[in-house]
Amino acid sequence: MGSIEISEVSKGTKLLIDNAPWNVIEANFFKPGKGNAVYTLRVMNLITRNTLEKTYRGGEKMETADITDVEMQFLYSDTNGFVFMDTSSFEQITVTPEAVGDDKDFLLENMPVGVTLWNNQPIALRLPTTITVEVVYTEPAVKGDTQSRVMKPAKINTGAEVKVPIFIAIGERIIINTQSREYSGRAQK
Amino acid sequence: MTGRDWRPTASSSVLRQRARLVERMREFFAARGVLEVDPPLLQPGANLDHGVAPFRIDGPGGPYFLPTSPEHPLKRLVAAGSGAVWALAPAFRAGEVGRWHSPEFRMLEWYRPGWDDRQLIDEVIALLAALTGWPEADSEIVSWREIFKRQLGLDPFAASDDRLLAALGSDAGVAQRDGAVDRALALDVLLVRDIERGLGRGRWTVVTDYPASACAQARLRTDRHGTAVAARFEIYRDGVELANGYHELTDGAELAVRLERERQSRPDADRLVLDGAFLAAMAAGLPDCAGVAVGFDRVVALALGCDGIAAVQPFGHRR
Repeated sequence: MGSIEISEVSKGTKLLIDNAPWNVIEANFFKPGKGNAVYTLRVMNLITRNTLEKTYRGGEKMETADITDVEMQFLYSDTNGFVFMDTSSFEQITVTPEAVGDDKDFLLENMPVGVTLWNNQPIALRLPTTITVEVVYTEPAVKGDTQSRVMKPAKINTGAEVKVPIFIAIGERIIINTQSREYSGRAQK
Repeated sequence: MTGRDWRPTASSSVLRQRARLVERMREFFAARGVLEVDPPLLQPGANLDHGVAPFRIDGPGGPYFLPTSPEHPLKRLVAAGSGAVWALAPAFRAGEVGRWHSPEFRMLEWYRPGWDDRQLIDEVIALLAALTGWPEADSEIVSWREIFKRQLGLDPFAASDDRLLAALGSDAGVAQRDGAVDRALALDVLLVRDIERGLGRGRWTVVTDYPASACAQARLRTDRHGTAVAARFEIYRDGVELANGYHELTDGAELAVRLERERQSRPDADRLVLDGAFLAAMAAGLPDCAGVAVGFDRVVALALGCDGIAAVQPFGHRR
């Protein structure tokens, strides 16, 4: 916890605004000729992922949020939540289902995952941008049609359902973009 | 960025094009009989433009102040009878960092004895057109009052405090200090947030007749609404402010009062020194003249299609 002047805020600064932690996505400085310094920030709430535009005047003091990002490994989930291990200290922590949110759809055992801590409490995950998963169920593949843009549902080995092209068959390994939740290609054999 | 990141921020192709623009500018001024000069960088006193923080250098013979623009030495030359002069000079502004700002940049500035702001506007646009290739004719002149009316439907001189706060919406808190509304700040936020980026889209937009409170070193005049306004103009292209010019104040005593008032308004007033040689020159008499300062890096960036000035400076400022 600390304070920072608005002129020191840049992309990636973590701020405490209305008792919530925010990440600065974009910081802009303006100064109309012979006028006052004005700053605009685009910030993302680290818990809800909502984004906002905020305006500040020069010289304003901001509060910073105590945010740390820790590299962890996903172990398993149980009734209390999702259990991760810190890959440097080997300590285990449990992340609540609320903090994991929809990211649960792309968690595979032993997968490396970034965990965002606010005041040492886990509040969000940072998944790899793409992950390789296996198709465990889908309708039979349509052979030969590899140009098709027609999609069909497929269940993957995380338990989630994603859309895949109709030429994909059960047992194939595919790459999923975890941000857009979309199929992005077949995995290399 | 780490200290080891030694590579330029501009490509060699951009630097070659920038050098050609500088050559074209020299030809422009040579053809018009304006003399190029090299102003000094160690100033005995500070430029005190509102909202601009100078760098102070303490050392043997000091303190010195780095120029926030070459305004003082150029006006001393004009006062000494140099005639029309221009400079492409380094300028330094503490704490200004952004896509279109840097703590150090190149300012193009020139003075035209015997001219007023209207005559100078035409010459600035002629130069900008020569540098960018965009037609001179695509231009408009609007008053500062008019740009607020056009975009927000409010008259910035007449609107009530409540009207300004309503226009600010969720940003209203920014313009309030100890329960009072800072009108100048409220209007700056509205300008930056809602107006500036729409100015000069596909043409040269010249904004004139600024509020008297933002007169800097411009003279005052009365607009057709009977409001006292500053004889100042700014020129925008594609939402970026490129130029700021004045029909210069020639009353040395009035200027000394303005600058001392500005110095005293600053929290670090006792570390700031007025530029005595400059004030003496103004007291001796600045001829009737118009002057303009142009952010040269910004012009180069727009001309070359770059989104920010770091891409056209060999080593742009990195945070």
